[in-house]
Amino acid sequence: MERFMELLFQPLKEFWESSVSFIPNLLATLVIIAGGVFLAWLARLVMTRVLRTVNFDRFCDSSGLTAVVRKAHLWSKPSEMTTRFIFWFLVIVFSMVGLSALRLATVDNLIAQFFLYLPRAFSAAVILSIGYVIAGFISRAVLIGAVNSGYHYAKILAEAVRLLLIVLILAMALEQLQIAPGIVLAAFSITFGGIVLALSIAFGVGGIDTAKRMIERRGEEDEQKEKGRDIEHL
Amino acid sequence: MSDFYQTGVVTTLHRLGRPSLEKLESELMAFSRHRPMALVLPALYSEFEADALKGIVGELKKVKYIKEIVLSLGRASDEEFKKAKDFMSVIPYDVKIIHNEGKRIREIYSTFDRHDLWVGEDGKGRSTWMSYGYIIAGGESRIIAIHDCDIVTYSRDMLARLVYPVVNPAIDVVFCKGYYSRVSDRMHGRVTRLLITPLIRALQKIVGSYDYLDFLDSFRYPLAGEFAMITDLAWISRIPWDWGLEVGMLAEVSRNYSPRRVCQVDIADNYEHKHQPISPDDAKKGLMRMCVDICKTLFRVLAAEGVVFSESLFNTLGVSYLRFAEDTMMKYEADAAINGLVYDRHVETKAVEAFTNAIKMAAKVFMENPLGTPLIPSWNRVSSAIPGILDMMKKAVDDDNR
Repeated sequence: MERFMELLFQPLKEFWESSVSFIPNLLATLVIIAGGVFLAWLARLVMTRVLRTVNFDRFCDSSGLTAVVRKAHLWSKPSEMTTRFIFWFLVIVFSMVGLSALRLATVDNLIAQFFLYLPRAFSAAVILSIGYVIAGFISRAVLIGAVNSGYHYAKILAEAVRLLLIVLILAMALEQLQIAPGIVLAAFSITFGGIVLALSIAFGVGGIDTAKRMIERRGEEDEQKEKGRDIEHL
Repeated sequence: MSDFYQTGVVTTLHRLGRPSLEKLESELMAFSRHRPMALVLPALYSEFEADALKGIVGELKKVKYIKEIVLSLGRASDEEFKKAKDFMSVIPYDVKIIHNEGKRIREIYSTFDRHDLWVGEDGKGRSTWMSYGYIIAGGESRIIAIHDCDIVTYSRDMLARLVYPVVNPAIDVVFCKGYYSRVSDRMHGRVTRLLITPLIRALQKIVGSYDYLDFLDSFRYPLAGEFAMITDLAWISRIPWDWGLEVGMLAEVSRNYSPRRVCQVDIADNYEHKHQPISPDDAKKGLMRMCVDICKTLFRVLAAEGVVFSESLFNTLGVSYLRFAEDTMMKYEADAAINGLVYDRHVETKAVEAFTNAIKMAAKVFMENPLGTPLIPSWNRVSSAIPGILDMMKKAVDDDNR
């Protein structure tokens, strides 16, 4: 009977003991998260004031950044979006730190992965922003060059170049984020390779006659040169 | 049928004989291939509940030469905007509604604020200006036509006659204003008949001949809200956001183009729309507000032309205006008598008294602050201050209409 009672109460006792030892961890987690939310709110408030003082929205409007974010269907003020991002970023970071106070192996692994992933996310953001600017610049250069050369489809050509560059930049960013890198690489290679192949075939097939004419003309020119030399000898 | 006499410095296109609408529309169809047209309709949601707009939409359904309609909707909730969209969906070509109270357009307005670009208060001036922005951003239309949404006697003949002079390349006109008579059992259009014309004539007598005064005096109905213009004019124009819109727009046209390239066209035998009370004691509503705004704009434009206004000039102007207005009343009384129309001399005299007060009020405001409320900046300036604004504007409207 005593053995049975021990079997019955031992797990309950263990559960109670582990619960009692876990409660401080849980409390610490809650305190860290609550403190984090407060700090995030404070940071948001301070950043709102700072961005307003430095006329951040006006800068974004003038530099064309606002127009870019509007294209992504985002209709808040740039400063509001930035402070909202900062707020949620800090909330997530503090939540991760808070969860680490639980001292659970699974959660600890998850948190370690999260913090290791942050630099990758940062590099992807840098690639995207610099890439977007470069794509815009190259597309503009193509447009000006094509217009000056008298091409009728200059705008389409510039947009096509821009689209291809954006695809390339997106592939680079996704590769950096390690989101299905194999698939991204394969998809990019197939798409890019396909486009180049399509262009080669189109150019090759469409230009058979032109190429033939060019080769024939070259041949005729060589013959003329030969004849000219003969006359000189005479 | 009207006479064919040409008055003033701008060309007048009369309604002579029995012009064929079908012929006019087929020509417009041909011209529209090279010179696409947009129609701007400034409207409040309350106008969707009135009969006039139903008639206008019914007529616009039959028009085939217009490329796009841009309706600038004011004082409407999101729900009312959806209802307005459904209402306009019967028109078989591209119709875009600018939801001025919507989240996206409000953000566009706050973008203007951030750059100290004051685009005025809610009203017809700001609504039409926003529509110009959308049309410029789209880059598809070369001609813009505008008319109000409260025209009870609307027919598509009005629109065809309004746009024809600007669309027809042989006429070489950049701006065309509509004119018409407003008669029921009596004559309406008090502000034009009893304020604008006598005031212009009084000013001409006192300050002498000025290009703008001669230009304004050439129009048979300078306050008509119906006009058509080339899109380039929408780029460069700075217009008042208040009731001075029509007079201010004519000032911009006069400033930028030769009167030889401006015309007015008879668009309707009769024109009926909502009438406003005078409210002589309150300068902030009704016709009184309209008159004060118009006079202020007139004084500012003339000051910009070089007229030196002083208290004594305004005193003389008041007296001179009254004399011209009294003479005008006598003319209209005779006109009413021969046409069997009701003519209430007392009501007309009361209107002239109210208009005299409006001139005094406008003069006072002008003397206190000659620069006054700024005009809405031109799209040229706005797109220079905020490079992506036209794209943003187009995106906002297109997303709202999706």
